[in-house]
Amino acid sequence: MKIAVCIKRVPDSETRVKIAADGKSLDEAGVKFILNPYDEFAVEEALQRKEQAGSGEVVVIALGPAAAQETIRTALAMGADRGTLLQADRIPADGLAAATALAAELKGGGYDLILFGKMAIDDYNHQVGPMVAELLDLPCVTTVAHLEIEGGKGVAEREIEGGLEVVEFPLPAVLTTDKGLNEPRYPALKGIMAAKKKPLDVKPAALGAGRMEVVAMTPPPDRKEGKIVGEGGAAVAELVRLLREEAKVL
Amino acid sequence: MARGEGRGERFVPANYQPLLPTDRLVLKEGSEGAGDRMELDVLIVGAGPAGLACAIELAQLAQRDGTEVDIGVLEKAEALGEHSLSGAVVNPRAFRELFPDLKDADFPFRGPVKRERVCLLTGRRAFTLPTPPTMHNAGNYIASLSEIVRWLGERAAALGVNVFTGFPAASLLMDEQRVAGVRTAASGLDRDGRPLANYMAPNDLVAKVTVLAEGTRGALAQAWLDRQGVSSENPQIFALGVKEIWETKRPLDMIVHTLGWPLPADAFGGSFMYPLEPNLVALGLVVGLDYGEAGLDVHELFQRMKLHPLFRGYLEGGEMVEWGAKTIPEGGYYSVPARRSGDGVVILGDSAGLVDVPSLKGIHYAMQSGMFAARAILTSLKSDDMSAARLAEYDRLVNSSFIMKDLYRTRNMRLAFKDGFYVGGLKAAVMTATGGRIPGWKIAMARDADVPRRLTPRLRPGSVTPDGRLTFSKVDGVFKSGNATRDTIPVHLVVGKDVPLTAAEFYARMCPAGVYEVTQGTLRVNAPNCVDCKATDVLGPRWLPREGGSGPKYKRM
Repeated sequence: MKIAVCIKRVPDSETRVKIAADGKSLDEAGVKFILNPYDEFAVEEALQRKEQAGSGEVVVIALGPAAAQETIRTALAMGADRGTLLQADRIPADGLAAATALAAELKGGGYDLILFGKMAIDDYNHQVGPMVAELLDLPCVTTVAHLEIEGGKGVAEREIEGGLEVVEFPLPAVLTTDKGLNEPRYPALKGIMAAKKKPLDVKPAALGAGRMEVVAMTPPPDRKEGKIVGEGGAAVAELVRLLREEAKVL
Repeated sequence: MARGEGRGERFVPANYQPLLPTDRLVLKEGSEGAGDRMELDVLIVGAGPAGLACAIELAQLAQRDGTEVDIGVLEKAEALGEHSLSGAVVNPRAFRELFPDLKDADFPFRGPVKRERVCLLTGRRAFTLPTPPTMHNAGNYIASLSEIVRWLGERAAALGVNVFTGFPAASLLMDEQRVAGVRTAASGLDRDGRPLANYMAPNDLVAKVTVLAEGTRGALAQAWLDRQGVSSENPQIFALGVKEIWETKRPLDMIVHTLGWPLPADAFGGSFMYPLEPNLVALGLVVGLDYGEAGLDVHELFQRMKLHPLFRGYLEGGEMVEWGAKTIPEGGYYSVPARRSGDGVVILGDSAGLVDVPSLKGIHYAMQSGMFAARAILTSLKSDDMSAARLAEYDRLVNSSFIMKDLYRTRNMRLAFKDGFYVGGLKAAVMTATGGRIPGWKIAMARDADVPRRLTPRLRPGSVTPDGRLTFSKVDGVFKSGNATRDTIPVHLVVGKDVPLTAAEFYARMCPAGVYEVTQGTLRVNAPNCVDCKATDVLGPRWLPREGGSGPKYKRM
């Protein structure tokens, strides 16, 4: 089974994000970058599929700056076989521009499965996976929380509002992975050592034309200060009154 | 819970402190229980300034020599620098020696010290003192140790060093007298020690030479010294520092040190305030752990300190963006272990006590000790002789260097303060004037845990109610340290049996991270709060390495 996993380098969710002087990008100084957590599910799933099949190859592809090689190394340390960086100084705001570059790289690769995280935690776009599927003319199942593959066919479960949806699809296919699909492994010491020697290609990204531009970013408004109504049972009546009349939540 | 002693009496922390669990910290090489086993030439425990300078120097020397040396560095923090905390004003000499081709401007410093001020504080006022000669900082640089460590780590990796972050060394592997390597901590265990889905077994890393650069109060270094019966003239003593980074409205253009208030007269310590940028200020309070009043709380004293006009003037309207805590080995010359080398092992930096308190410096000694170790190790490797006799070259290099010369000059200065601040200050002045020749003997010190504490009812030096703007609770602090340790992690602190309420309350006051809490007369241990400052290991429950990536995530400490 040959599987491609497309991954993204994103700021750590615990990072205190600052907006750069231009007012429309992040100030990257001192920011720690990680492998997008949803992509970890995709990498883990690919590794488990390959282990189950007993043979195959897991290829990780990232689009981003030179520093994204570190992100690829993380996936290689988890167990992926080789990596490719499509180098671009900036990840384009238009998902289609990124998807075009990724699709060009994936085309003719002979992959049985192409996996993405369901979204990147920095832009929340959920776009690139489905766009790549469209560009490659492949079926696409998003937010996969459970997966069975047998022969040339797959069955995926998706957690949707209020229930579960079961989808059947033929291979090859593009899937985007959700939390709950698996428990991503930590890179082991041996894996980290081995990752240094695994092949990692770097080539310029053939980005598609972008038709979107980020014009402004603003931090969320400061949270309003809390109020201590009082103490003990006597305060309950006042609290209920305030929740009703001021907060209007009751 | 029984009351150990009555109020108004004295209590000795050592009476309730468990012994160092050497049976867990030292294992026989080849013991069962490990997953993978890997071999390296040189294994360095701890990616701090000492360990990384050692790795860089060794890689550079080997490269120049045409020798291939496989070097690995284990670091317990999830990423480089996240467990590193210092003031810091750095003496650049070790940087210059390690990187002869670079200029000062290339180093990861924030800027040179331009002006400095030393103040004696009272509750309301600040009196400028003449700067003591040991505290002159002309030619030194303001820096963040987290940033220094990140930079050094990148240099090491570029030289081919394997830097493994997120892998704590949990036990020393010994083959008779020889250190054979370490076993890493397991990860993915639940509170009761049962494996979870993402469980990872410990790994054994074996090496020809193991370098212990764990930093302050190193667990493996302690265990090795204990097993080998290596002692020092005085026991090592420690201070606890609590530090915050602030984005301020008002710029700061000099480094400031203070003495006096809010510390009680029988506690040794002081504060620092350094501008990383004009409006990005690092400040902290350091207090010796031999303080007399059991109710003293360093975190709260620090919070109270910020209410002083001197600090308030800079901080008001600003925002506290990072918080952290760390102990410092303060014993100086007489507390350095008689030898810091043995069969297959050397001990560096803070783990060896290479800190000079009167000048508030340790980073350049740590780096320099790493560079000396690298030179001794390369000679050993080339002669295929990793014996204690051969590695003793490292001790010789340190002993004949400026490190021990500096420590010798100020050998009694910190020790003089065991009699209190004012007497100590006078004695220290005389020592400075005479180049350390007075007194002509060694001032003997007790272990911090052996110092009796007064139990004065209701006396809680430092008590303050946090306002969330200028002053913060311990829980606020832990949050700002970036600590996101999983709640279900096994407890890594070894608490003594039948701890009386007095000791439990003492732990609760002493720990800056709120790990210990007394609720309804019982000691509660909130282990995930721990930021690995090691104060607990000095005065109370023992600290053991835990799952990789736990603890704080310092960015600019």
